[in-house]
Formats: sequence, structure tokens, C-alpha cells
Amino acid sequence: MEGAGTSYSNAFRFVAPLQEHLLQGSILDAHCEVLLHRLRGLCDNADTTPETFSDYEAVYQLKNNLATPASQYILLRVRQALDHPEAPHHIRYLGQAEVGDKSRHTLVRACFDVACSSNVRDFLNELGFKLDHEYVARGYFFHKGRMKVMVSKIYRMQQPGKTDQNTLEPITQSHMVELSVVAPMGQDSIGEEMKNFAEQLKPLVVLEKFDHKRLP
Amino acid sequence: MGVTCVYSYPVPDGKSGQAVVEILQRQIELLGALRSGHFCVDCDTFQSILQTSINVQPKTVYILHNSEQPASCFAITDTSLCLTADTLFDGLMHQLKNYYQQRKNAKMEAKGQRYELGDFILKVGSASLAGSFKGIIVEVEYCPCMVAVDCWGLMKELLQSVVGSVADQPPPILKNRQDELYSPSITVSQYLDIFNNFRKLSATNQIGR
Repeated sequence: MEGAGTSYSNAFRFVAPLQEHLLQGSILDAHCEVLLHRLRGLCDNADTTPETFSDYEAVYQLKNNLATPASQYILLRVRQALDHPEAPHHIRYLGQAEVGDKSRHTLVRACFDVACSSNVRDFLNELGFKLDHEYVARGYFFHKGRMKVMVSKIYRMQQPGKTDQNTLEPITQSHMVELSVVAPMGQDSIGEEMKNFAEQLKPLVVLEKFDHKRLP
Repeated sequence: MGVTCVYSYPVPDGKSGQAVVEILQRQIELLGALRSGHFCVDCDTFQSILQTSINVQPKTVYILHNSEQPASCFAITDTSLCLTADTLFDGLMHQLKNYYQQRKNAKMEAKGQRYELGDFILKVGSASLAGSFKGIIVEVEYCPCMVAVDCWGLMKELLQSVVGSVADQPPPILKNRQDELYSPSITVSQYLDIFNNFRKLSATNQIGR
């Protein structure tokens, strides 16, 4: 604890801002097996069986009455691993997505990941946040270098807050595929790296940058 | 990490805070405790700027850091709910700036010397509000035990040889949670309680003038 003082803890507090680079796509359930096989071949954890996950995500919204439309609400995503109840809960803030021009291969957005204690839901309610929507995501996780690939199925929860197997209902007949990298600001070479990786998954799945604001 | 008791130590009339801190430090050193660096606990106040109706009280969130848990950040609401998170939570509070704003000149800090004495960690320091001295803080931690009710007797004995009758009772926050498994969030809650008392005192002093 030598030297523990303000300057010491400040060093921890001001971490360079991180950005998430993201490509998304989807694959029909029937062909998911083939994709998983290919990912096992391409990714770093090839010799082991793919890592599975089962997460419950609740999205909380806080509204304000400021005049500018861009800041009328803020969303925080709270994630919790259902298969590892002892793991810390997780708050994620995602900033405004920048789609950019054609020369940029991926969607880029500010990203904050904070691990926290399990009373986070009560805490957000106290702060005035309201639950906006919730879902369960189950699937497989791969990594290649700093790239992260998630193949997951999204389930609607028939009873609010209940994550039992028999109350979950799949939303679609397909799996969502996400390729992402979280890195400090200004690393534009990642886009190229991700594009090249996405090329190798064609034609099974086409990973693209989606402008979420333009979705119907 | 173990059970921790935090007390504010009264400054007698006619003595300066610094002089009392030095007396306490000498007493602790006489017990055989060894200096082991410094400690710092700080507290920022954030207030909601959300006005849904005029009658609604603004909400307050206190963000605390403790040098004993340098990678953690503690956020405590008006209703004493304490969230423990990574230090990145500070960045998240910054993202909420359209909803919660940091109150200016409200930063409280407790800083001072840290000692080790066998299984105990002792800390003596001064608390300040926006840089001006507000009072003295004494903290004692008994590392091998996680349940307050099991070690209060032992802690009381050591505490009383340093601060005397100030430590007749466990700190109010700990008193209600004596059977619980201790966690660092209880320590910062004790600090916040003391900080808020200092704040109230300085507010009433200002009105009295």
C-alpha cells in the first residue's frame, strides 16, 4: 500500500476511452453447426470444445427533459451469467454508433464495461432508471487474437424476470453472429483485420455494419 | 481484509487538529505498530438534475474510493444502497452528466498514516471538505475475522487504548450489521456516515455565525 494516495488511485481511474468495433450478421439454426465447425478451425481455441455462455441481459433507461433530442435518454445494459452465478454482474454503456463512410469497414461506438456487485438492478432503480427490455442470450464464444466472435440465440422471456428454461421462447429461427473488438480510441487498422476475418466466413454468414437507427 | 471500525475523534477546544493527530500517532507507535504507508478515502457527491415535478427531492449519489481497495469504486445512494464496482464506474458517472451532476466544492477526503500491528491495521488521519480541515478519523481493522459480533470485544480493547471512550459502542452502521459477513462496502458506508456528519456540522456552524 506504499504511496496509496489520491494520485495513486487517480491513475486507475482515468483509463483511455475504449471503443467497440462491431460487425453483425445472422445464420439459420439449421446451418449453425457448419459455422461453428468453421469457427473452430479459424479461431485460437480450436483444440477445445467451444466455450458456451448463457447470459441474462436487462436494458435500463433513464430519461430526462432536456431539449436536445440526442440526450433524451441513456441506456445501460446489465448482464449476468446464468451459468456462473458467482461471477460479478456487468454494466455496459454503449455510445452513439458511428457508421462513417464506406472506407470504414465496421461500426464504431464508445463502450464502457464495468464489473459490479449483484445489487446493481436495485441501484439503477434508485437512480431513476426503468427497465426497458430484457432477454436471454445463449450460445458460443470464440476468440482470435483480440477479436471476439459470439454466436448466440436470443430468447424472449415470457414472464418478466424469470429465466427458467421452460419460460424462454426463441425470438427467431436463427442465431445472431457478432464479431467485435474493444480497443482504445484511434486504432483504425482493426477494421481491416475484422473485414479480412469476416471474408473467411462467407458465404455461410455475411457480417456487416448495421446502422441501428435505420432499422425498421 | 476483515472487520473495520471507523470513528471520528473529537478535537478538544484550544488544540489544533494536527496536534491531536500527532498525539494519536504517537500513542499508536507506542503500542508497537509499524508505519506502512498512507491511506486515502475520498467522496464525491452527484446530484440529479432531473426535474419531473417541483415537489420531487433531487436524488444524491455518493462516489467513494478507498486506497485499501484501489481497483474498486463504491457508489452509495440516499437510501444507503451501496454498489461496488470497478474504478471504470467513474467514467460511467461521467456519461450520466446530463442526468447527474457533480456538486462543486463538496469533495470530502480522509488522509493520513497507515499502521500495521500484528493482525490489526490502524489508520489515523484528518478529514477535509474541499480542502479545509473538518475533523479526525481513526480506523481499526482486524484482518482475520469477517463477522463483527465475533471480534468486537477484541477490537474494543485495542480501540480503547487509542481513542478511549469514543469506542464504547460499535459504529452505528456496523451495529445493525454485526452478524453479517463483513464486506468493504460497510467500511465506506461508515466513512460516508462520518463525512455527512462533518458536512452537517459545518453547515450549522455557518448558519450560527
